[in-house]
Amino acid sequence: MGIRVNPDVYSVILNGLQLNTQQQDQALQQVSTGQKLNSLSDDPVGAAALVNLRMQSGANTQFLQNITTMTGSLNVANSALSSVVEALTTAQSVGVEGTDATLNDSNRQALAQQIQGIQQQILGLANTSYNGQYLFSGTATTTQPYIEDANSASGVTYKGNSNTNSVEISEGQAMPINLPGSQIFGNATNNVFQSLQDLSTALSTNTNISAAATEVQNALNYVSTQQTFYGNSVDRLNNAQVFLTQEQTQLTTTESTTLDVNMATAVTDLTQAETTQQALVQAGAQVSQVNLFTYLPTQ
Amino acid sequence: MSSLFGTMSVALQSMLAQQSALEVVANNVANANTPGYSREVANFEESPPVLNGNTMVGTGVTMASVESVRDNILNLRIDQETSQQSNLNSYVGSMNQVQALFNETQGTGLQTYLTNFFNSFQSLATDPTSSPLRQATITAGQDLAGAFSQTSQNLTTIQQGLDQSVVQTTQQVNQLTSQIANLNQQIQEVSNSGDAPGALEDQRDQALTNLSKLIDTAVVYSNDGTVSVTTDNGTALVAGNQSDALTTQLNNTTGMHEVFSQGSDITSSIAGGQLQGLINARDNGIPSTQSSLDDLAAGLISAVNKQQNTGYNSNGASGSDFFAPFTPSTPDSNAGAAASMSVAITSTDQIAASSNGTAGDNGNATALANLQNVPVVSGQTAGDYYSNLISQVGNDVSNATSEQEAVGLVLQQLTNQQASISGVSLDEEATNLVMYQRAYEAAARVISTVDELTSTTINMFTPS
Repeated sequence: MGIRVNPDVYSVILNGLQLNTQQQDQALQQVSTGQKLNSLSDDPVGAAALVNLRMQSGANTQFLQNITTMTGSLNVANSALSSVVEALTTAQSVGVEGTDATLNDSNRQALAQQIQGIQQQILGLANTSYNGQYLFSGTATTTQPYIEDANSASGVTYKGNSNTNSVEISEGQAMPINLPGSQIFGNATNNVFQSLQDLSTALSTNTNISAAATEVQNALNYVSTQQTFYGNSVDRLNNAQVFLTQEQTQLTTTESTTLDVNMATAVTDLTQAETTQQALVQAGAQVSQVNLFTYLPTQ
Repeated sequence: MSSLFGTMSVALQSMLAQQSALEVVANNVANANTPGYSREVANFEESPPVLNGNTMVGTGVTMASVESVRDNILNLRIDQETSQQSNLNSYVGSMNQVQALFNETQGTGLQTYLTNFFNSFQSLATDPTSSPLRQATITAGQDLAGAFSQTSQNLTTIQQGLDQSVVQTTQQVNQLTSQIANLNQQIQEVSNSGDAPGALEDQRDQALTNLSKLIDTAVVYSNDGTVSVTTDNGTALVAGNQSDALTTQLNNTTGMHEVFSQGSDITSSIAGGQLQGLINARDNGIPSTQSSLDDLAAGLISAVNKQQNTGYNSNGASGSDFFAPFTPSTPDSNAGAAASMSVAITSTDQIAASSNGTAGDNGNATALANLQNVPVVSGQTAGDYYSNLISQVGNDVSNATSEQEAVGLVLQQLTNQQASISGVSLDEEATNLVMYQRAYEAAARVISTVDELTSTTINMFTPS
């Protein structure tokens, strides 16, 4: 006598179909979303890693945005200072021209007026703003840094402060983004506005023109040194941008490895599940269409 | 004593017995697709022989009993696995709802809000006096608080739904235990009257299986045909024709219902079935997720407020709390921190971006942004803590799902085995049908033969 088996073949086929449907569902979901990670339980470790990756790449995106914003303002400041240097160079040569003994008073008066024009030009440059922020007023970015002041020896008064702001350009790496005007345009020995004021007075009064021209030259050298801060900062931002972009590429690759399905595998899984389903359904259709009752004689 | 009429009586008994056996076949065929039906077999027995002179002569056949073919031990195993499967099904079902709240795989979870919040301060650092950027930080804060609060409230909603299910499931348990007690009584009565209680036993098996889907059961079969049912931990459910109803009582501290049996709380000792899965998700899975979420919210609120307090707002005054500060209702518990999270400041000038009181200074905005990299809860950064929370929720569901699959395979095998013992085979029934039919025909032939013999005997003396 044979071993008694489960006479209900359909229950066996049904179990097979149900298991297969689960696999089919999973494969279909992977193909349709393109992700192998569709709920946290698919890969808890991967999901946790995904959160960390996205926190990091989210922060990097912000750093890159900050870099773009700051590159704009630093470039404007840099070019304003280039114009200042250029104007001072003109002023210095005007001063040298003023030392020429053949000039008469009226010639020197004209030169003094030219210097006063340069004074106005540099005042305008020192008050450069970008996106509504004054660039050379320290952290008091809403305050116009220099105003004309007849009572002041240099002809101007600095209204900004001597503070600087730093902005982070990558995790934990902060970079100063400004120099206060009080530092750029002068210190105890060199002062742009004072030197121009002195040169203008010297030309008008024909006294110590040569010394005043030297003073302008010194101020020019000083501002050029200050300007390098902006040039260097733009370089530093460019380097940081390159680094962050590389890191972002790396993070995106890792994220894709964690999240994205291998399409070839998923499609193969799906095809396999479909084939299995067809086989099971066909088996179900063929098996047990017949039992012994079919062959019993009918009277 | 042997006679022609005796022979006829033997043949008649045989016809009756074969007829009864055909009824059994008919019943089996009729119930071939009835869930829970165990096939029946007709047990024939030789009638007691009589002494005829010096020889014992058989007196035919009787149908002694109709027996249900079932393996009670196998049924118990099936009920145990069913119990385990229902437990896992309801736990996985509940926790699937929970993990869907943390939809990180689609990139729409809390992480986005955390990143946006910290980034808004990083962005503010580039232009600390900008009103739009200040407004953006308030909005990002509101979004973050809203996400925490919404997630927490959704967890509570799921938990309350599970609590309702616990109450309903307990009522279903009571219906089934009372049904089983009734069946016990009927089975005992039928057995006492000498009949076979197969159909009632089938019904009781079904009820026991259904009960094991709801709660863990330990079943003991008694000689009188009744079963007694307890939980694995010995809580009485059915004894003879008596059932002990379970009750539910609202626990005012937790706001959840506890399950009681005869005055004692058995909630935590329920070890199987849908009830265990529901209680496990309600009392462990969800509260542990909720408390992690609360700890994270409380940590963030306090760290952001503290940093905001050290800075200065647009008017040069010390910064006030960014988020509404969280006051624990019970000491050392952050319960409710996530649900009640909200932004306290109302205008853009209240953001303390400055670290020295100058309006254009950005020191504190950078410091606020840097809270992203500072431990704020349990010695971990917000991102790390949250990613751990994610992996815990995912692991919990993943482990339960693997177990669910394993139990499913075991159950499938056991059910298959059960069907191989108790299932109706139409081939087998067809064979029996033919067998009983032929035996019936043969017995009828015996009667007609005896009839001929009798007629021969009677006609022997008939004058012609």
